[in-house]
Amino acid sequence: MYLEVKNLSVYYDTAVVLNDVSLYVNKGEFAAMVGPNGAGKSTCLKAMAGLIQWQIDTLKGTRLGKITLKGSVKFNGEELISLPAHEIAKRGLILCPERGKPFREMTVIENLKAGAVLNQKNMKENIEKCFRLFPILEKRKDQVSGTLSGGEITMLAIARSLMADLKLLLIDEPSVGLAPKVKADLFDRIKSVNEMGITILLVEQDVSFAFDLSERNYVISRGKLVAEGTSKELMADELMRKTYLGM
Amino acid sequence: MAGGSDAGCWGKFLAGSAGGVRFKEIGGKLIVLFAIFINGLLYGGTYALLAVGFALVFGVAKIVNMAHTGFYMMSAYLIFIGVSVLGYPLIVAVLLTVVGAGLIGVIAYRLFLDRIKEHETAVMIVSVGLALLIQELLLLFFGGHYKAIPPFIHGFITISDQQVSYQSILAIVVSAVALLVVWFLLSKTMLGIAIRAAAEDREAASLMGFNVGRISMIIMGISVVLAAVASSVAASIFTIFPTMWLHPLVIVLAAVILGGLGSIKGSVIGALILGFAESIVVLTVPKGGYLGGVVSLCIMIVILMIRPEGLFGITFEEERL
Repeated sequence: MYLEVKNLSVYYDTAVVLNDVSLYVNKGEFAAMVGPNGAGKSTCLKAMAGLIQWQIDTLKGTRLGKITLKGSVKFNGEELISLPAHEIAKRGLILCPERGKPFREMTVIENLKAGAVLNQKNMKENIEKCFRLFPILEKRKDQVSGTLSGGEITMLAIARSLMADLKLLLIDEPSVGLAPKVKADLFDRIKSVNEMGITILLVEQDVSFAFDLSERNYVISRGKLVAEGTSKELMADELMRKTYLGM
Repeated sequence: MAGGSDAGCWGKFLAGSAGGVRFKEIGGKLIVLFAIFINGLLYGGTYALLAVGFALVFGVAKIVNMAHTGFYMMSAYLIFIGVSVLGYPLIVAVLLTVVGAGLIGVIAYRLFLDRIKEHETAVMIVSVGLALLIQELLLLFFGGHYKAIPPFIHGFITISDQQVSYQSILAIVVSAVALLVVWFLLSKTMLGIAIRAAAEDREAASLMGFNVGRISMIIMGISVVLAAVASSVAASIFTIFPTMWLHPLVIVLAAVILGGLGSIKGSVIGALILGFAESIVVLTVPKGGYLGGVVSLCIMIVILMIRPEGLFGITFEEERL
C-alpha cells in the first residue's frame, strides 16, 4: 500500500470532524472520496498533508480553540502524522487545496516557480510539461494570477503541484464553481496527470464526474467512512445511491 | 522617558542640523526648493529603508515589530562603539555592525518573538519591551548625551549657491542602492519568491514545501540589516541619543499604514511622501522641526479617511485562517 491511513480522527474542541477514518491508496491508482458538504473530506486531506498539524502548532496557546489529531498516516512506509506540512511536501505528497489558493499577487510563471522550490533542477522541463498539459497557462504566463478565471486558477494550482517532485497528489474539490464544460475539460486533464504515473486521491462533491475517472471510491458522511468500492459497485447499490450519492 | 526633554530633542534633531543642507541665504525660492528636494530624499530614503524592513517582517512573519527602530538605534551605537571606543576605521565598524546587527536581530527573533508570534498583543508588548531594553542599556552605558559618528566623507559640494554635504549624497545613494537590492532580491530570486509566497499565504506556501518558520527568521535578519544600513549612512548626519528610536518608529508606522499594510512598494512610497512632508515643514514653517511628526500623522489620517486600505493596500475578499 502506497498511502495508508489508519484510525484518523480530528476534533475541533469537542466537535468530531473526522471519526476513525481508515483508507488506503495503491501506487498509480486514481482514488476518489465523495460525500456531502461538511462530511470531513477536506479535513481528511488536510490531516494527510500536515495542515491540521500546522493549525495545531499555530493555535497553540491561543484562545481560538483546541484541535486534536489522532491516528496514523503512512506514505511509502513512513509515518507522516506529526511532520510539518513542508516536510510532507518534501516526500512527494502534495495537496492541491480547495479553490487552488494560488499566490494571487504573483504572475502565473512565478507561481509555477514557487511550486518548484523542492525540485529546482528540473524546473525548466517541468514548466514546459505543465504548459503542454495546460496550454492556456502559457498564454497567461505573465499575467497576475489573481486575475485568472476560476478554471484557470484550478489548472494553475494543479500545475503548481506538478512542479514539485510529485508522487501522490491530493486534490480538494477542483470543480467548485466551474461551468460543466470547463469541468469536463479539467477532469480530462486530471486523468492525464494520473496517466503520467502520479497517484491521485481526488475529493469531489460532483459524484458523476469523480466516478467516471476513479478506480476505487470512498464515501464519507458526518466524518465517518460509510462505504468503499468501485464506481460500479457503489452505483449498483440503490440505497447507497439515494442516500449518499444523490442520484 | 529619559534622555532629555523630548520636544527639545526633536527640535535639535530636525531643525538644528537640518539634514544635510545648510542655507547660505534664505532668499531665493528655488534654493529652498532644492534644499527641500535633497532633504526630502535624505529623510525619505532613510525612512524607506526602515519601512521596508518593518513591512517585510510584518508581511512574512505577521509580526508588528515595534523594536524595529530600536535595532536602528542599536546599530548607530554599535558604530559609535566601533569608532570611538574601540578605534576601528569607520568602514570596518560599519561592516561589523551590519553583520552583527543582523545576527542580533535573528537571535532576538528566536529568543523573544518566535515563540509568541501568534499572539498579536503579546508581540507588540514584547517588542516595545525589547526596544525599551535597548534604550535603557544604552542609557546605562552611555548616558543621555548626544553622540556623533564621523561621516564617511567630509566636505560639501556647492550646487547653485547651495551647500550639499557629500555624506548626505552618499546617504541618498546608499539608500537607493539598498532599495534596489531589495527589489532585485524580491522579484528575481528564488528567495524572493519564497518570501512573497510566505507573505501572501503561509498555508499554501507550506504546502508547496516552503519552511515558513525559516523564511520568517531570514526576513528578520534582512530587516535588521536594512535598519543597520540606514543607520550607518544617516547616523552621522543626525545625532544619536538613547531615545532616537521613537521618532522614526512613528514615521515608519505611519509610512507603512499610509502605503498599505503588506505592500512593500507602498511602504517605500509612503516613506518618501512623509520624508518630503517633513522636509517641507522643517524648511518652510518657522520652528517646523517640532512639527515634523505631527504633519506625518495628519497626512496618514487624511489618506486613511479617503482610502482606508492605504495607497497600495489590498482588501482581502477571502477569509484566511
